[in-house]
Amino acid sequence: MTPGDPVPLAGVQAPAPGAEALQPVIVVIEDDRAMRLACLKILSRSGLQVETFETGSAGLEAVSSLKPAMAVVDLKMPGISGMEVIARLHEIDPFIVIVVITGYATIDTAVEAMRCGAFDFVPKPFSPDELRLIVNRGLEHRRLLLESQKAEMERELLKRRFITFVSHQLQTPLVAIHQYLDVLRRLENPAPEKTREWLDRCLARTEEIQAIIKDWLTLSRLEGGRLAHQRTRVDLTATIGEILRTYEVMAAAEGVVLEDRMPEEGCPVAGDKNCLSVLFDNLVVNAIKYNRPGGKVSVSAESTPDEVIISVADTGIGIPDKYRQMLFGEFFRIQDVRKTPGTGLGLAIARRVVSEMGGSISVESEVDVGSTFRVRLLAWREPAEGKDA
Amino acid sequence: MPRPAKVLMIDDDADCRTSVRHLLEGRGYTVIEADCGRDGLRKAVEHGPDLILLDVMMECDSEGYGVTQAIKHQDSYAALRGVPIIMMSSIQESPDELFPMSPESELIRPDRYISKPVDASVLLEAVENALAARKPRETGTA
Repeated sequence: MTPGDPVPLAGVQAPAPGAEALQPVIVVIEDDRAMRLACLKILSRSGLQVETFETGSAGLEAVSSLKPAMAVVDLKMPGISGMEVIARLHEIDPFIVIVVITGYATIDTAVEAMRCGAFDFVPKPFSPDELRLIVNRGLEHRRLLLESQKAEMERELLKRRFITFVSHQLQTPLVAIHQYLDVLRRLENPAPEKTREWLDRCLARTEEIQAIIKDWLTLSRLEGGRLAHQRTRVDLTATIGEILRTYEVMAAAEGVVLEDRMPEEGCPVAGDKNCLSVLFDNLVVNAIKYNRPGGKVSVSAESTPDEVIISVADTGIGIPDKYRQMLFGEFFRIQDVRKTPGTGLGLAIARRVVSEMGGSISVESEVDVGSTFRVRLLAWREPAEGKDA
Repeated sequence: MPRPAKVLMIDDDADCRTSVRHLLEGRGYTVIEADCGRDGLRKAVEHGPDLILLDVMMECDSEGYGVTQAIKHQDSYAALRGVPIIMMSSIQESPDELFPMSPESELIRPDRYISKPVDASVLLEAVENALAARKPRETGTA
């Protein structure tokens, strides 16, 4: 091997695309042989894989296959200049960390190198510790860059999948309506009963879209904090009583009994009345829908000086453990109940409302026995009277 | 007269199945319905359809791709491998875009995509073309 040749280390392998090697690879591009060997020695001792190159063009050529985490580049070299090497390195890998070695410890060249995208610089002469320190800092910088890039990519992917999902939810009923009308239009003499039946289905699917849009709007408004910033005294005995009366007929049709066990003396909490109505409306409707004939929905309250816990208990199908995590997510619906109409947004709204009110929501459930949703809210406290500070 | 072609329709939306069934039966096809991927695979084995119409987003996110993958790559469904699959979806993205990380996206490609809502004439034409271009069934000989 002649001096100036790249010095291959045993077992050096380029990492797979997109993956960082277990041991980061560092390339040193430096025309001065003594300096090159010094860098190799110092950095190899720190357990790093080091590849050295005499010229910018040789270094650049190797970078695509080596995928180094970092490059240590001499600014003053014959052939391609250090500045140009920096620019080209960044074209190959925008996240490569570059440290420049500068012979003339002028601030100007160093500043210019940093402006061109170098992470840091080491003025010649430097001690082994100086170089190691800067390289370690550079590697840490690289790790953070890659981590944030990965997180960003994951966020993007999630966002895209979520948008796909939402548009699918909205399109599904529209697709059904469109296809009914398209087929109906092509029939020469459609049977009146069939026409009637299909038009009824179209109407039902239209209502489904309206419900999704309405819930989606509620959710967006909650997220904007526009619905829930009012904290007034709300008597949940009255609010929940009203809701239970509203759904008596629906419950009777499903063969479900509604049981109001809210305290008669009242149950004051701090919150926004409309939001709390939406919340308990959703919980009560779910408890009726996902119940069984002969079943029961029971709403009760426990109070402590600071908080009120409302329980909405049903005797329905229950929620398998594996769905517990996703239950309060947007558009989540348990597989087995897809045939029950619903927007998949009710519990997302519920969670949003309680978090806006400074409370929490949880669920206990046993499959085929029933579920109990517990909502914790802040108890209402009368403001202190007439005491000016 | 040849027996009418059997079409298996896998879609979780009952209304979509109703309208498509009506359309296809009007053209003399026999229609078998399944409301999820699992049921679809079971009925495919049971009935040996000449064509499969497959929805993409069903119960489990992109369950439709689970069906194409099973048919194309699992030994237990080897008998179905020559059956053309037409995938229907209201999502505009191909598997490459939806699953950018998946190296298998090539392997789960259906014979044809149609976007929903499906225009009746487009669907009928796609069904006719797919049946006409049917590959001979693989018999499992090496």
